[in-house]
Amino acid sequence: MMRPSFGARMMLPALLLLAALSIFPFLFIVWMSFNDVSPIGGLSFDWVGLENWTNLFTDPDVRSSWGISAIYFVATVGLEMAIGIAVALLVHELIWGKNLAISLLLMPMFIAPVIVGLLGRFLVDPTYGLYAWVLNTTGLYTQNILGSKGPALVAVILMDVWEWTPLVTIIVLAGLASMPDEVLEAARVDGANYWQRLRLIVLPLISGIVIVALLIRSMDAIRYFDIIFITTNGGPADSTKIIPIRLYETAFRFFDLGYAAAIGLSMLAFSILVANLFLRMLARQGLAR
Amino acid sequence: MSGAGLAGASLLGLAGCGGESSQSSSSSGGMWKQYKGTTLNFISENTPPTAAIAANLKPFKDLTGIDVKVTQMELGALVEKVALDFGSGKGQYQIIYADPYQVLAPYYQGLAELNDFDDDDSLPSIPKGPGDFIPAQLDAAGKFVDNETLYALPYDAPTMIWMYRKDLFEKYGDQMKQDLGFDPMPSDSSTWDQYYQIAKWFNDNASEVKYGTGHQAKQYDSLMCDFSNILWAYGGDYFNNGNKVGRLGSDDPGPALLDQPKSLEGADFYNKLLGIAHPGSTSWDWSGVDEAFRAGNEIAMTPNWHEFAAGIETSKLGGKVGYAKLPKGPARTSDMYGGTGIGINNSASDDEQRAAWLFLVWATSPNSQRMELFSKAGGGTPTRQSVYHMPDVKKAEKRPSNAPNMLTADAVFKAWEPQNIGLRPKIKEWNKCDTIIFTEVSKMLAGDKSPEQAMKDAKEGFDRAIGSA
Repeated sequence: MMRPSFGARMMLPALLLLAALSIFPFLFIVWMSFNDVSPIGGLSFDWVGLENWTNLFTDPDVRSSWGISAIYFVATVGLEMAIGIAVALLVHELIWGKNLAISLLLMPMFIAPVIVGLLGRFLVDPTYGLYAWVLNTTGLYTQNILGSKGPALVAVILMDVWEWTPLVTIIVLAGLASMPDEVLEAARVDGANYWQRLRLIVLPLISGIVIVALLIRSMDAIRYFDIIFITTNGGPADSTKIIPIRLYETAFRFFDLGYAAAIGLSMLAFSILVANLFLRMLARQGLAR
Repeated sequence: MSGAGLAGASLLGLAGCGGESSQSSSSSGGMWKQYKGTTLNFISENTPPTAAIAANLKPFKDLTGIDVKVTQMELGALVEKVALDFGSGKGQYQIIYADPYQVLAPYYQGLAELNDFDDDDSLPSIPKGPGDFIPAQLDAAGKFVDNETLYALPYDAPTMIWMYRKDLFEKYGDQMKQDLGFDPMPSDSSTWDQYYQIAKWFNDNASEVKYGTGHQAKQYDSLMCDFSNILWAYGGDYFNNGNKVGRLGSDDPGPALLDQPKSLEGADFYNKLLGIAHPGSTSWDWSGVDEAFRAGNEIAMTPNWHEFAAGIETSKLGGKVGYAKLPKGPARTSDMYGGTGIGINNSASDDEQRAAWLFLVWATSPNSQRMELFSKAGGGTPTRQSVYHMPDVKKAEKRPSNAPNMLTADAVFKAWEPQNIGLRPKIKEWNKCDTIIFTEVSKMLAGDKSPEQAMKDAKEGFDRAIGSA
């Protein structure tokens, strides 16, 4: 019999720990997704075959939640990337006060999402919300923000953008700081203006780190939960019920744990798909192996 | 009656009650102390009675030597934790705030049957007997399907009533009467149609408030509560034998009735009423609408839980608010009952269950209920009929009151009458059905669906959820 190599033996404890922490729960969830799981008197499993998976692909509510998640995903990640890169470029150009500006910019990121949700709810509350009052008195928007379908979705998207754009900014700033000065200097000497330098030198140089930021924010956006749970609970009229809220409701309100497992695994599959897409982009640039 | 037994009886409000006192409390003075040194965990929604209990646990500790750790949280989180605790079979929480619809109905097998404890001679029995609890509340909060088996003792009793700005109604009463052709002052004969007209009148004529009415119409449990009052008032219902399904519960309620003409009429009216309500309504739950009402310049009236009266009376609106039962519809008056019982976790050890029984008896005893009513920390409402006959409690029904919730007494007593109390279906699938109805009504209010379509879809959802499709 072939003895495992020294390297394999050294890795064994870590692999066992990984199995205990990740692989076993994963397999357990896969098992749950093929069962009707009842929490009464200890977990009981009743084999239902592909029923939960069939429901997953035929349930119009879940389909609608995926649709809202897609809008939410594109809007939050898109805005965070665009604003984050723009702010990073501005801050990078600062000659003095750069550290102060970075410190202030980072503040939202250090607030717990639940608190951001509470703060957002307070600011747009029709009774005492400052933003609601400003919009109302200026006549820009006189209806109830969190109680109307479109505005409620916009509001929760903006709350997420407010909190997580600084993360993109700080990652891109790190990329900008690591750019070779001599290349930029040479471009300047050759007479390239700011926009030419940005388009032809800066953006290609930082594209790898931008994709890393995109990857991190995408993974977060797929499992976004707290702010919507606190502000709208998925309403009004299910207009903010993204897939993690649907998952929570199925698992912990209906205790339909088998079906919730199937929904959760579909989220995992989507996350892996998105991550692979970005990793391929990185690989194409020679930044990932 | 021995020393400890006498002390126990006195603490429970029994001394001087003669034959009504607990037989067991006189038989053994040590029965209250038999689980001295035990620690119990009580999981509860963050409600006024629990706030009061948590702040006043010393008498129980002195009486029994038992430590009670109280964990309070929002109802949704409580249901999640309780279900997981039942699932684990560990009995981490021995005493459970058993919401009749979200805990008792779906998980009644996880709760211990209380009749055995009440009949056990080595334990104190329910002071004054179960008959002292308000009958409809004992059934709704304490039983599931079987009329004989008790799973929880009624612990709190929030009920939806009509809260209105009495000062504005007095100021504009004559003008409204002239314009509308009826006396607007809330009374037993007030109707939902009149409520609508009054709200619209305030919208158009009063400068003190922005809107006549505000509602708890956020896509949440609160929307189901607000909507149900009108559904029932118009003669609609969720299931056949709605009163029985609400009061005792049902294993098989049959097909839903939400697509029936009277249900559609109710949905139609609710849609119309919310059309003239404060636009903030669709993002308010009960706390949101309470804050709007208390702000003073937002709404003139609202249907809300009567226990908010304590906060209103200590706000700038103190003395300016009147309380009445909700208006009637073509079929009846209906005031949603939101009370809850406390029960014992079946998975806890035998000794822990018996110790938990001592807490249940104490916490729902007349004296504890009176204490909760007057507590500065809380302000719940007694579920015991005898408490409402205590002189200081009766005195608190009039201003100035040191128990402001009692200012709603007239309204809630009428609301608790069997023909008026609004009881949502007590079925195992209620969490799912609740979500279906508040989601469909929310879609109706958002204009996504007509009342007919929303009710038809809700009915189909209910039938799928309970397997009656």
